[in-house]
Amino acid sequence: MATTMITTIPIRTPMPHPIADGDAAALYRLIAWTSPAYPTGAFSYSHGLEWAAEDGLVPDRAALEAWVGHILEQGAGWSDAVLFAHAYRATAAGDWTALDAVADLATALRATAELALESTQQGAAFLSITRAAWPAPALDRLAQLRAGRPVPLPVAQAAAAAGAVPLPAALAAMLGALAATLVSAGVRLVPLGQTDGQRAIAHLMPVVARTTERALAAPLDDVGTAAPMVDWASMRHETQYTRLFRS
Amino acid sequence: MPPVPPDVTWSQPSPPACLQRSDGAGRLRFVADHGRTQATGLYQSDPVRFLFPLPERGEPLPAILVTTSGGLAGGDRVRISLAAEPGAVATVSTQAAEKVYRSTGPVTRFDTTIAVAAGAWLEWLPQETILFDGARFARTTEVDLAAGGRLLAIEMLVFGRRARGEAFSYGALRDDWRLRIDGRLTWADALRLDEPLAPLFAARAGLDGAAAMATLILAGEGGAIARDAIRDAAEAHPAVRIGASVLGPVMVARFLGRDARALRDAVVQAVGLVRNRLAGLSERLPDLWYG
Repeated sequence: MATTMITTIPIRTPMPHPIADGDAAALYRLIAWTSPAYPTGAFSYSHGLEWAAEDGLVPDRAALEAWVGHILEQGAGWSDAVLFAHAYRATAAGDWTALDAVADLATALRATAELALESTQQGAAFLSITRAAWPAPALDRLAQLRAGRPVPLPVAQAAAAAGAVPLPAALAAMLGALAATLVSAGVRLVPLGQTDGQRAIAHLMPVVARTTERALAAPLDDVGTAAPMVDWASMRHETQYTRLFRS
Repeated sequence: MPPVPPDVTWSQPSPPACLQRSDGAGRLRFVADHGRTQATGLYQSDPVRFLFPLPERGEPLPAILVTTSGGLAGGDRVRISLAAEPGAVATVSTQAAEKVYRSTGPVTRFDTTIAVAAGAWLEWLPQETILFDGARFARTTEVDLAAGGRLLAIEMLVFGRRARGEAFSYGALRDDWRLRIDGRLTWADALRLDEPLAPLFAARAGLDGAAAMATLILAGEGGAIARDAIRDAAEAHPAVRIGASVLGPVMVARFLGRDARALRDAVVQAVGLVRNRLAGLSERLPDLWYG
């Protein structure tokens, strides 16, 4: 036995399952918080995709998957994932100074007016709804801490998840919700059929899994993007003639 | 002393390489004296030098930063510190494009801190930074602005020696901005290009084949005027993707293009428009910009 050679490389589970330990409550919270029915207004933001589609940069499903995948892995998805992980840990440790600093950085780290609006309006809505429907001391503390200052979406989500949902699952769900929001915008803008939209979401799963795993190990200093075209598209969207979306 | 195991020496930089690396610093402060701005508090260490040509007519006091080594290699570091005191008006530029050479591992660093007091107008207008293929470059720019102060800043990156058909196919880039107004973090930007680079340049949401990119920032009052001037001028540069946006007290413009020269022309024009509309300065930049 001792001389048996290991001939296969163990496959790492890309995403822990929140109900693996019988924790259905954690999964239930995630489904509620990331549902399109959760009234944060997610449906009204395209993250610059509306201009990109208008400009011919996203003509079909493959292009939509590539565009959204890049945002998840190299754009705001990545930055928000790192910010989320650090906000989650600060909340779990009761380190409100650190949480406040992450919220400041998350607020400041926006390249355009509409991307800032997208993050802070959804963050404010998420915090207010979650405090009402899923009250928790950490959320009250966050609201008190940030009185009069913005609460970006990943910070509000992380403060809700800390102590209620394991971090890897919460992070994957947050990124999955972003993927679903952007694909849904793409279905309207490219346009695509509903089935193609769901194909895109299915194809983006490995991207979400990879990004989740990478963000869990990332120091806060790794926050940043390689998506200047998204910033440009968002800037151009500000003066787009006909607009369905707020970003 | 026990002999050093041979494998350890591979992971450490060899001593001669350490000695050859440069760590240069430059500090400069601008003060207003009865309506005239003067440079003071000059400190410079190799390879950093400041030159002070006479200002062209109607222009603010210019300071020209020179890196006398001709370029920056892996492990080299430059630290620049600029301050504009109340009412000072000054332009800091660089004499030539900054070259960042291929590195075998160590990172080339360029750190700038800028402080702008109330009533001051400071321009930080370095010429483009050319990232040679294989460069590993980390740049930080930290700005502390007092309410009522204004900063006009640009940064231009060229990916590879384009004249030779070179791209930026491997290496790394970290470009970080932190801007505080009255001590409070107001705007941050972080560009991260990590290997593999080819997919980042190929992605339409990434750089979409850009050979060069630039960011222009106007911090302080007048953001909407600057944004609109840049938008209006964008039509004259169809080969360059130009966008601008105002986030509270900061106006940010991005430029992306497959032609580094066309991009530079667009940025130079935008800088001229912003300084003219907001500070009444000439639309034409100092001569070194037009060569």
